[in-house]
Amino acid sequence: MAAGAITPIGGDLDAFWSGLVTGSDGITRIERFRVDDLRVCRGGEIKKFRAVRRPGPGCRASQLLFAAADDLLTRARLDAPAERVAVVVGTALGGVEELERALEPGGTLRHAAGGLYDAPSHALARRLGAHGPVLTVSTACASGATALGLAADLLREGAADRVVAGGYDILCRFVMRGFDALRSLTRERVRPFDRRRSGLLLGEAAALVLMARERDARGPRLGRLLGHGSASDGSHLTAPAPDGRGLEFAIRAAMAEAGVAAPDVDLVSAHGTATPLNDRVETQVLQRVLGPRAAAIPMNAIKGGLGHTMGAAATLEAIMCLLASREGIVPHTVGLEERDPECGLDYVAGAPRAVRPRVSLSTSLGFGGCNAALVLEGAGG
Amino acid sequence: MSGAAVAGVGLLTGWGEGAAALPADARAAARGRRVVALARPALAGERFRRTTRECLLGVAAVEALLRDTGLGREELRGSDTALVYVTAAAYGASNLEFIVGEAGTGGALHFPYTAPSAVPGEVAIEFGLTGAYSILIGGPAATLDALRQAARLLASGRCRKALVLAVETFAECEKLWARARWLAGRPLVESAACALLVPSDSQTPLVPAPAPAELEALARVRGGETLAVGPLVGLALARAARRAGVLALTGEWRGRPAGLALEAH
Repeated sequence: MAAGAITPIGGDLDAFWSGLVTGSDGITRIERFRVDDLRVCRGGEIKKFRAVRRPGPGCRASQLLFAAADDLLTRARLDAPAERVAVVVGTALGGVEELERALEPGGTLRHAAGGLYDAPSHALARRLGAHGPVLTVSTACASGATALGLAADLLREGAADRVVAGGYDILCRFVMRGFDALRSLTRERVRPFDRRRSGLLLGEAAALVLMARERDARGPRLGRLLGHGSASDGSHLTAPAPDGRGLEFAIRAAMAEAGVAAPDVDLVSAHGTATPLNDRVETQVLQRVLGPRAAAIPMNAIKGGLGHTMGAAATLEAIMCLLASREGIVPHTVGLEERDPECGLDYVAGAPRAVRPRVSLSTSLGFGGCNAALVLEGAGG
Repeated sequence: MSGAAVAGVGLLTGWGEGAAALPADARAAARGRRVVALARPALAGERFRRTTRECLLGVAAVEALLRDTGLGREELRGSDTALVYVTAAAYGASNLEFIVGEAGTGGALHFPYTAPSAVPGEVAIEFGLTGAYSILIGGPAATLDALRQAARLLASGRCRKALVLAVETFAECEKLWARARWLAGRPLVESAACALLVPSDSQTPLVPAPAPAELEALARVRGGETLAVGPLVGLALARAARRAGVLALTGEWRGRPAGLALEAH
């Protein structure tokens, strides 16, 4: 596995990692579209991006994906025949901003076609020259994890020899207006697992990894995906199941596939949206699944500095786990200052911690009752 | 990779319920209509009052599957049943409403339904599905990917039954679809379908089938353009014709052909 990314705290993988360990705050006032009529006007917006526009579709979603792919390809080569290279990309919003454009005066057929949620992933496949399967996953904010899981399945089945997998989403008026109306956005700082947490802020990013079967992997490796699991809550469209049953099922499935037990887990990258319900439910599920070991495992959540990057979030968090293993540092949870007794786990706060995790667990939840979990093994250490 | 068979298909289209409702020639039967619409299903329950039409169609498609198979709801409930949902565009109506309703109706109640995950989310709530879960976006090729993923989940023991659900609606976005020249002369037929896959003893290989297979052509001629639902229309036609054994399914989307061979009971 190799990786590439573009995020609000860094325009490539190295800058992303630097931003994590220095606790960078990528939350700013949104400038690219109108927000003055919204309750909350801030988010993890990537600035100065238009200046480096890549050839191909002009939509921001595709351009973010291209930027992440360019970064990835500085570290890895697609060394397989084109028809054996697959693309599996997760997104919560696809090219919906293009649909907004299609409906404006002067909107074109190209805008309308770009409004379909699978348009950016196909644009990425064309740009990469990948002629294998192209899958667009949309399990809301768990998309970036589901995509890596499906990519692993494609490799295991032999449907592809290389898979460029990951997730992306952009900040646009559509999603800002929606979350603003739901009152999910905080006017304060994003504070995952903090006693004062009051909601999330959105961000935009793209993150991609190049995956291959173990025996086919060449060059430096970031790590391995050992297992993945998914589940529906069957409970509520926008809120996690109060008992966290879907998340629990997904975590247990991922750990079973990975062949790991609680004592094997060295790091948990939590979804950690900083909504009162999510962080409490997630904590309870981790306590249930990991048992007494849960209290001894370093945990973090990286949405405090990035915002919730939706379709990109889980891929970024998986990459963070692997980089933590390589570098021997676990980034801290930006925004966490006052611990919540209801979230009584070992959340890394205040400063990065010198730990070199081997096996990591990453959790994700999304609208529609989507849950996903990944178990990863870093190549470091 | 193997071990999955189709045990049933529920199909609703603008032509009616089931394969028997499909005309011999969808183009002729459409009589110039660009969209052959499906009415909003009248499902009982307060929870469905504000739900979108595409969500109700998803629920109705699973109910049609239960009628086709004779299974009860309790046989789907729980974590042993996986749900893989696929659509090319069924989120378009809710997206459009949210965008054009900016000054009025678009708000907290409507926004969650703009996500593609709303349809399988409502289906999971209604039928108590808490097993493996995935959502793919795209046309017929994505549905073949969804069937393949369902088969993988079965083969690896991650579920004991798998539902592959597809929904497509077009009426609300008819003006946008009218701009798509590749659809010229082909009626867009609103549809929802759900296939039940179960483990198979026969270890049917899931290999690319030569494209386009007979069922793909038949589904298009009789069903019209149903995008992601197309391969499930083909399965419903095969089931109605009592064709068992290995079926070749094919589909194409955005210039990418795909195919697989799948056993049908």
